[in-house]
Amino acid sequence: MREITFIEAIREALRHEMSLDENVFVFGEDVGGFGGCFGVTAGLYQEFGPDRVLDTPISESAIMGAAVGAALMGLKPVPEIMFIDFTTVCFDYLTNQAPKVRYMCGGQVKKLPLVVRTTSGGWIRAAGQHSQSLEGWFTQVPGLKVVMPSTPNDAKGLLLASLRDNNPVLYIEEKALYGTAGPVPEEEYLIPLGKAEVKKEGSDVTLISYALMLHKCLEAAEQLAGEGVNAEVIDLRTLSPLDHHTLAASVQKTHKAVVVQEAYEMAGVAGQVVKSIMDHSFDYLDAPVKTVAALDTIIPFSPPLEDAMLPSTGKVVQAVKEILG
Amino acid sequence: MKPVGIIANPASGKDIRRLVAYGSVFDNNEKVNIVRRVILGLDSLGVRNVFFMPDFYGIGIRAMDGLDVSLEVCFLQMEPEGTQDDSTRAAQLMNELGVACIITLGGDGTNRAVAKTCRNTPVLPISTGTNNVFPAVVEGTLAGIAAGVTALNSASDPSFVKRVPRLEIRRSAQLVDMALVDVVVSEAGFIASRALWDVSKIREIFLARAEPENIGFSSIGGLLCGLTSDSGKGVHIIIGEGNCRVKAPIAPGLIRTVPIKQFRVFEPGEEIPISQTPAMIAVDGERELVVKQGDRLSVALNLEGPRVVDIALALRQASDKGLFFEPQ
Amino acid sequence: MELPKEKLLEMYKTMVAIRGFEESLADAVTDGTLPGFVHLGVGQEAVHVGVCSGLRSTDWISSTHRDHGMILARGADIKRMRAEIFGKATGYCKGKGGSMHLAAFDKRAPGCNGILGPSQTINNGIALALKKEGAGNIAAVIFGDGAAHRGEFHEALNLAACWKLPALAICVNNQFAISTCVDDVCAVEDIAARAAAYGIPGLVADGNDVMAVYEAVSETAKSIREGKGPALIELKTSRWRGHFEGDPQPYRTPEQILEDKKKDPIARFAGQLLEQGVATEVTLQALKKEADQELQEAIDFTDRSAYPSEEEMFTDLFYEEGRNV
Repeated sequence: MREITFIEAIREALRHEMSLDENVFVFGEDVGGFGGCFGVTAGLYQEFGPDRVLDTPISESAIMGAAVGAALMGLKPVPEIMFIDFTTVCFDYLTNQAPKVRYMCGGQVKKLPLVVRTTSGGWIRAAGQHSQSLEGWFTQVPGLKVVMPSTPNDAKGLLLASLRDNNPVLYIEEKALYGTAGPVPEEEYLIPLGKAEVKKEGSDVTLISYALMLHKCLEAAEQLAGEGVNAEVIDLRTLSPLDHHTLAASVQKTHKAVVVQEAYEMAGVAGQVVKSIMDHSFDYLDAPVKTVAALDTIIPFSPPLEDAMLPSTGKVVQAVKEILG
Repeated sequence: MKPVGIIANPASGKDIRRLVAYGSVFDNNEKVNIVRRVILGLDSLGVRNVFFMPDFYGIGIRAMDGLDVSLEVCFLQMEPEGTQDDSTRAAQLMNELGVACIITLGGDGTNRAVAKTCRNTPVLPISTGTNNVFPAVVEGTLAGIAAGVTALNSASDPSFVKRVPRLEIRRSAQLVDMALVDVVVSEAGFIASRALWDVSKIREIFLARAEPENIGFSSIGGLLCGLTSDSGKGVHIIIGEGNCRVKAPIAPGLIRTVPIKQFRVFEPGEEIPISQTPAMIAVDGERELVVKQGDRLSVALNLEGPRVVDIALALRQASDKGLFFEPQ
Repeated sequence: MELPKEKLLEMYKTMVAIRGFEESLADAVTDGTLPGFVHLGVGQEAVHVGVCSGLRSTDWISSTHRDHGMILARGADIKRMRAEIFGKATGYCKGKGGSMHLAAFDKRAPGCNGILGPSQTINNGIALALKKEGAGNIAAVIFGDGAAHRGEFHEALNLAACWKLPALAICVNNQFAISTCVDDVCAVEDIAARAAAYGIPGLVADGNDVMAVYEAVSETAKSIREGKGPALIELKTSRWRGHFEGDPQPYRTPEQILEDKKKDPIARFAGQLLEQGVATEVTLQALKKEADQELQEAIDFTDRSAYPSEEEMFTDLFYEEGRNV
């Protein structure tokens, strides 16, 4: 199968959907002729024109407001918020507006097809306000789905599914994964939202993660294999709603779990995964569930400091050893 | 030397005419700048006291802020309501205070409000409204200087202060209302947003001014009769098919073909009855009077309207007298 | 400006109906039978009826917490409106929105947004869809003097102007944002003056005169329909009652409130109708009687209606294909 990059996979999904449905349109800062700050939308403006790919002023509230309004009217807007760190300035739309409008009007509006694309994560030496992983905040919003792919294959399938879901979806793209390549089918395929995937089968411990940290877990699994530990690795793929079933099936098999997130230690998805395991699989556990996360501090600029603050493969391996031992 | 009064209306220029015509947006900051220039002009002529009409925007306060002048400014003792009545009340107070002249910043409407109560006090109108026939487009500094000249000559009756006519609307012998430029009678309707722009509803027009270089409804009279500003005559036009059709600039950017059934020049003093009732009467561009069925109203031209300073003539005469020459 | 007699009488009746509706809610607050908060628009009837009369039924109008009257003027069902305000299942939003999220989408009235600001940016999305539809409809959004200082006011106007959207922003300046007087928190005398900053027309009109409001709105709407881009109208008016019902208004003197009541838009319109010979006292009384009757029916309907069942807590949260949501 051909291999394409994470960026190319996302772009392919967008192109595909825009070709199929003229109501789908992309907009945000610099997404047009410039092709987006990270190049994700490159070529779309040239192909679909200014009515389908729109550049906006630096006005996240205006962008998100227009997206909600357009979705209410049956269009399929795909707004881009350049960095998840900037969702703070339009937080209201991701929490009080888009997720709530259907419910609060009692279903007078049935579909709200709104996929918000944004980028996330560190490792690019962009310091405290451009490197965060804030997905955790959004998982506590009823009415909003949160999706975070780890591979180009998943990126395409999850984006297509999100675009077809008719619900508000926050689709988060880890910047550090943009250049990574992987096999991606050329045809259309949808990966269901709310379904985790066992990326590597194992028996001795379950490693649970998503996005870039998923790859750290796979690396850790390889290292651990060399030491005779057979780790199972689960990719959450959708952070909200969580796939309790897949988590339970795995932990009930391995009896041990380590959850890894790039977000700050305090709160976040990892804590909710631990709760899920406690709720469904407590009697099966041989050890406490451990978490690995970024230290509870602000992401520093200096490269060795950033590397020390964010989770590493070594820290995952260490966590496994602590519960094995 | 007598004091001078300034009435700067912050309301003019923000109504529906912004939209239905292409009137300029005269924002209040610009009015502040004009008033600054006026003050500096007044100061240079030695005017010592200036009375301001207070307003919500504080045009006077802002204009004086940081201005280095010798004259003193005083605000009239009145509570502004933000309507045209403020201008009328201010003019009355200024007249009672014996100002040498009243400088106005506004359009026809503002000046009409002032003319109701200014009596013999000369008006020096600076244009900042939409439909401007009465006030002149004049630079603020020159207006201030001309006002200063007026103040210097207030004991005499200078020839650069002229009386202009006004139209008077009467019910029997009672004066009901007045206009400085035009009285437009249209089909019955609501006063609503006051502005008038729909030609199809108009029945007849009475004009105190009818020069082709006027904007607004008086342009119709100007194109038909071509009077001069000191003609001392009025024009009465009945709208409808019959006589001719005129393409006239009835508002900034709004050129409309107006069908003319009849028109004639009329003399001052002649009372012309308003033919059809019910009706709506607009004065100087604002809908103002609801005329009920059977109501007998008439329009006449009165030459004894407000006194107005001819700025160019004032400056020329002052210059001829050597007023602007400093001793060596 | 040519409104037939029937329309003028209908406008009068609607104004009277709105006053009755609002005052009946005030009674309910006094009785202790109304749950939560209501923000009554008594005194602003000219705004509600003037705006709706000046727009088409195919236009969209989003409004504020003080605009029960706007939704009523759009032709919404008074029974379902009152039921919603009392949290009954027969309400427009199945009782899940209440007064602060009252909406009648079938009348193109997305209704109230509980957060000030987003309605203005969301309106742009609606306008975008209407522009694409190409049927000459426009998207109007009502907001108060307080909301004119939110960032969204600026972001929304700027984007609407840049994209030449068929959007009409209507600021209802009733001079108070809860207890804060507009003179203290607004840097300019007229909020309409801010339109100049975005290169769009800004008009001020008398919000206590229903015909002045009608004229300003209909002329502006005509201009927007002709493709001339968005516009801002400021309607100057006042509210007679507190910010929320129960607010004793210590920030205003009784004399000031009395001055406001002298500008009663209903009395003014009645006077104009009588003066013009459009109606007689008898006609006006008959219209009021009709309105009172309809209100009583709404009160009875609300009293008879049940609360929603607990299952409704989870309906309308997400759209699910194939399920009856």
